[in-house]
Amino acid sequence: MNKKIKIAIYSGEVPSTTFIERLINGLSKMGHHIYIFGAQTQKVNYTGNVTLATYKKGRIPKLLHLAKYSLLLHLFKNRERKKLDGMLGKVSKNLLYSKVKYYPILWHKPDIFHLQWAKGLEEWKWVLEFDMKLVLSLRGAHINYSPIADPELVLMYNRCFPLVDGFHAVSKAIGKEAETYGASYDKIRVVYSGLKLNDFKTSKVLKIETFQMISIGRPHWVKGYNYALDACKILKTKNFNFKYIIVGGSKDLELMYQIQDLGLKDYVVLMDKISFEDVKRLVESSHLLILPSVKEGIPNVVLEAMALGTLVLATDCGGIDEVISDGKNGFIVPIRDSRKMADCILNISHLTKIEISNIEKEAKKTLKKQHLENQMLKDMNSFYQDVLNGKAESKNLYD
Amino acid sequence: MTKNKIGLVLSSVPGYSETFFRNKINGLQANGFEVILFVDYLNPSDAGFPCQVVACLDFNSRSLKTVLNSIITFLKAAIFSPKQSFRLYQLDKNDGVPFNRRLKNIVLNQFFFKQSLHWLHFGFGMLSKNRENVAKAIGAKMAVSFRGFDLYLSPLKHPNCYDALFTKDVRYHVLSQGMKQTLLDYKIDPNQIYIIPPAVDIEFFNPNKETVTNQNEVLKIITVARLHWIKGLDYILEALAILKERGIPFEYTIIGDGDQKERLLFAAHQFDLTDTVKFVGRLSPNKVKAFFEESELYLQYSFQEGFCNATLEAQAMGLLCVVSDVESLNENVLDGLTGWIVPKRDPKALAQKIIEVAQLPMSEKHRITQNAINRVKENFNLEQQHREFLKFYTQQSFDP
Repeated sequence: MNKKIKIAIYSGEVPSTTFIERLINGLSKMGHHIYIFGAQTQKVNYTGNVTLATYKKGRIPKLLHLAKYSLLLHLFKNRERKKLDGMLGKVSKNLLYSKVKYYPILWHKPDIFHLQWAKGLEEWKWVLEFDMKLVLSLRGAHINYSPIADPELVLMYNRCFPLVDGFHAVSKAIGKEAETYGASYDKIRVVYSGLKLNDFKTSKVLKIETFQMISIGRPHWVKGYNYALDACKILKTKNFNFKYIIVGGSKDLELMYQIQDLGLKDYVVLMDKISFEDVKRLVESSHLLILPSVKEGIPNVVLEAMALGTLVLATDCGGIDEVISDGKNGFIVPIRDSRKMADCILNISHLTKIEISNIEKEAKKTLKKQHLENQMLKDMNSFYQDVLNGKAESKNLYD
Repeated sequence: MTKNKIGLVLSSVPGYSETFFRNKINGLQANGFEVILFVDYLNPSDAGFPCQVVACLDFNSRSLKTVLNSIITFLKAAIFSPKQSFRLYQLDKNDGVPFNRRLKNIVLNQFFFKQSLHWLHFGFGMLSKNRENVAKAIGAKMAVSFRGFDLYLSPLKHPNCYDALFTKDVRYHVLSQGMKQTLLDYKIDPNQIYIIPPAVDIEFFNPNKETVTNQNEVLKIITVARLHWIKGLDYILEALAILKERGIPFEYTIIGDGDQKERLLFAAHQFDLTDTVKFVGRLSPNKVKAFFEESELYLQYSFQEGFCNATLEAQAMGLLCVVSDVESLNENVLDGLTGWIVPKRDPKALAQKIIEVAQLPMSEKHRITQNAINRVKENFNLEQQHREFLKFYTQQSFDP
């Protein structure tokens, strides 16, 4: 039976990433009661049954927030408040701030507390003492590379992962990675990011002579832009006529320097962050989206480019091979290999219209098969139901 | 005006390991100059620094204290140094500096006004920003040192940041011919550019034992560098992955710290080098020397360098040095004579060179390291650096 559940989606900041915002809206439409906690940086509009128990940044808003929930707990749940205070007294380094974060959660007491980022796990294990189920998303740096450089983090994961009731993995690869830190195979559920294909209707007509390539994302080393720029250098020496835009890469000194150093000023543009609509327009008007990352889950930008009918060339950086099958619906090259990347770009530029059209069709097929928003919501819903019923392990999506 | 008084401007008092400025100050003092150090802030550990240190007040925080400090400082400037304040105001005005900035410059530079200096010498290019007229306002000559990143990276980050500076009557100190050429490209008068490369304490960095003694199977490789992207360390790791693939046994140690540690640790992990690459952090000169003594090959694969002291030190210690083909490093190491130069950003070429060097006969390795030791001793010693700085402050102009 599909029980209506009180679910807290916690990422610390409101609004959060695309996936999380889609999840919030979708789950609330399914009839679940969604609670949002944490610091709110912008106005948000959620439809359906969503309770915002957020605070604005700054001392006064935080104090008012604390005062409200302290009073409510004092009057109606004093025993539980005392119990939490007792637990916090032993571990919290900043008691007041901890209360600002924790009291609203204790007051609303959702059935499931779904934490989005693993690094914060230790401070949230208290929810288990108050009949809430703890669910953790496995995503991003927290699993992909931070533990490699931080042995303390590995120890924390080893301590805390066994306590978690269910793990949501954004890809099979990241689920496997988390297993090495003590996440139980049985508790991991892979739920892919999903999108609404209707939001990506396209009337793609590319008549530009110059081969247009694009990457989207913050200028962080994990994005591997330095390898893409090295590939551009190879393309330049082969007299290939191209342009490459990195959206979100402006003002990054390393990229600016590399572009100058390699003489790529006429070929590469570093752009500021732009609106989602503008990103879509740019991706749509590009021949190729490049994902040069050294490590990723399954980035939304890859799915979105596929939905927009733009070819994707990605590195084999984690969950990519769960979406892209090389040569069939996109292209995969090894990580940290600019030469292979350049060769692949040249090959792609020689594809016939029919070949391109076939790849685009295959890409859409893949999206329809495993990356639709409805499917994502259905899978998350069934995952939550199973966690609540203590059956998280019954429907593992691993191969 | 005291003829032998030099004001040296740095952001902070040089720590014990920052040998360049410490050596420079020692050398100047030994030659009868009086040195005053101007810094942005003081640390508790700065007490006992062997020259007078003047620190600027903190005007960066947004507090009532900053407002009060600014008002008091402005009044001090107007009352006790009216001539200097007015001159700076006028000179800035002539340069088209906006009114608010002119007032700000008086407040920020007030701590220079009471000093009677022969030279005001900015230790890094960016330290002279918004201070282009201070030396003239206090009646001193102006000198600026460029150290590498300030000449190559700062203008990328802050476009046109040296436009005002490059119009002034300034004597420039650079570390290499490459840097001099960059200044010439900015149309700086060659008579005012003087190359003084860094120097090595050759008494300290002196190989106690016979050099290139590694008879082991394992090639011991080392780099001393901040963990910064400009050092090209991920390309080194890629080259080492090739070595590993070819079954060449090696150990690689990186001495240094920085904000790219996670990136490099992760790269080492992905290249499957975790067992062979060690990140030992920043170390004291004694410990660095001990690591040099244990190593055979030194790598400096930067995209850009001012000159690179560590490469000089490695040569002084008798290590085989392989460096990237970038300005300054190709003056630091002479290809085939005192070490080897390979194209930058080319891990395959680097790996190939490492293999070639490792397989050289002992006699050839000896020849190269001995050349390097001799060259560092002759051309990059402290006495010579002191002499060059004396010339820098006393000569009318330099031979282009």
